[in-house]
Amino acid sequence: MKWGAAGCVVVLVIAVVLALAGGWTYNRLVRLDQDVLAQWAQVENVYQRRADLVPNLVETVKGAAAFEKDTFTAVAEARSRVGQVGGGALQNVVNDPQAFQRFQEAQAGLSSALSRLMVVVEKYPELKANQNFLGLQSQLESTENRIAVERMRFNEKAQAFNTARMSLPTALIAPFFGARFNEKPYFKAQEGAEKAPQVKF
Amino acid sequence: MIRSPVTGPAAAFAAAAALALAVPARAAEVPIPPAPQRWVTDTVGLLSPGVLEALDRQLEAYERQTGHQVLVWIGATTGDTPLEEFAVKAFEKWKPGRAGKDDGLVFFLFTQDRKTKIEVGYGLEDRVTDLIASRVIREVVAPRLQGGDPDGALREGVAALLSAIDAAGTQAVPAPAPGRAPGPGPRPLSTAQKVVIAVVVLGFLLLLITNPSLAIWLLLNVLSGSGRGGGGSGRGGWSAGGGRSGGGGATGSW
Repeated sequence: MKWGAAGCVVVLVIAVVLALAGGWTYNRLVRLDQDVLAQWAQVENVYQRRADLVPNLVETVKGAAAFEKDTFTAVAEARSRVGQVGGGALQNVVNDPQAFQRFQEAQAGLSSALSRLMVVVEKYPELKANQNFLGLQSQLESTENRIAVERMRFNEKAQAFNTARMSLPTALIAPFFGARFNEKPYFKAQEGAEKAPQVKF
Repeated sequence: MIRSPVTGPAAAFAAAAALALAVPARAAEVPIPPAPQRWVTDTVGLLSPGVLEALDRQLEAYERQTGHQVLVWIGATTGDTPLEEFAVKAFEKWKPGRAGKDDGLVFFLFTQDRKTKIEVGYGLEDRVTDLIASRVIREVVAPRLQGGDPDGALREGVAALLSAIDAAGTQAVPAPAPGRAPGPGPRPLSTAQKVVIAVVVLGFLLLLITNPSLAIWLLLNVLSGSGRGGGGSGRGGWSAGGGRSGGGGATGSW
C-alpha cells in the first residue's frame, strides 16, 4: 500500500515533467517557426522590390536599344512568371518544398533574364551617360545584393529551425502538430550562377 | 570589342550569387576586423590627420545630436571576400545604430581594391535610398578620389550622406544617457509560481533517482535554452546597439 502510493506520485510527477518538456519543445518550435516566416516575408519583400524595378528599367533601356526585342520579351515573360508564383500565403511556400521550388525557379528565371539584359546594355554607350538608367542600374545592383543577404538570412533561420526540429526528442513530438512543423527548405545556388554571364560577339 | 567578363553589373550579379552560396557551405569564415573604437577609422593613412580628426568629431557630434551612428571605415582590401559580403558581415558584427531602430550607416572604402560601399541600416533605408547612396558615390566621392583628393572625397561624401539623412525630416532625438538604466528588479514570486516550482523540483529529484540519464538530459536542455543573451558594452567611442542591415546602399569603384 505504502509503495503503491509512492508509485502513483512518481508516475504523476513524471507525467508533469513530460508535459512541461513537451510544452517547452512546442514553444521553442513555434518561436523558431515564426522566425523563419518573418524572414521569408523579408525575402518576398526584396524580390518584390526587384519586380517593381523591372518595368522602369525596361522602358529606359528600350529608349536607347530598341532592337533588342528578344531580350525585352524574355524579361517580360520572366517577370510575369514571378507574378504568378507570388502572392500565396507565407506558410504555404515555406512548408511546401514544391511551392518553394517553383518560387525559386521563377525568381532564378528573372535573374538570368535581367543579367542578360544588363549584358546587352553594355553595347550601348549612350545609356552609360543616361542618369535615369544609371540610377536604375544601381538600384538593381543593390536589390540583387539585398536578395542575396535576405536569402542567406533565411537559410540561417531555416537551419536553426531544422536543427531543432530534427533533434531528439523533438523529432518524435513535432509530427503531431501537422505540416506547420515540416522541415524547411533552403535556397540553393543555381547551376552556374556563380559565373558571370559571358559576352559573345 | 572584348571586355573582361567580370566588370560592371555582371560582376555585381556574380558577387550576389557568391553571397547566396556562402551560407549552406559556411566553409570560409570572413575575417572581419573587430568593431572600431571611433567613428572614423583609417587603417591605411589615406586621410590627412586634421581631416580625419575633424570628420570624427563631426560624426560624434552628429550622433549626439540626432542619435544616428554614421561610421567611416577605410581599409586596404577585403581580400578574397566580395565587398558586399564583407560589408554586410561587418555591419552584423559591429552593430552600429540603436537597438530596435537599426539607424546606423557605414561608409566603407578600400584603397587597394579601389572600391567603396555605403552600407545602410534598415532604419535609414528610407532616407538614404539605394539611389541616393549610388549618386553620392558616383557624383561626389568617385570623381574626387579619381582626382587624387581623398580628404575632399570623404568630407563631401559624409556631408552629402548626412544631409540626405536630415533632408527626410529628422526630429532631434535626445542622446541616450550614458550607462544603462537600472532594470526592474526580480519580482517576488506568486504562490502559484512557488507551487509549480516546487512540483518541478520534486519531480526532477525523483527523476534523478529513477532515471538519471533522462534527468541530466533535461537539465542540460533547459540550461542550454536559457543560456542565451548578453549584449554590447559601452566603449570609449561610439557604442554598438542595433546594427542590422539588409545589403542596401550602393557600391562603387574609382
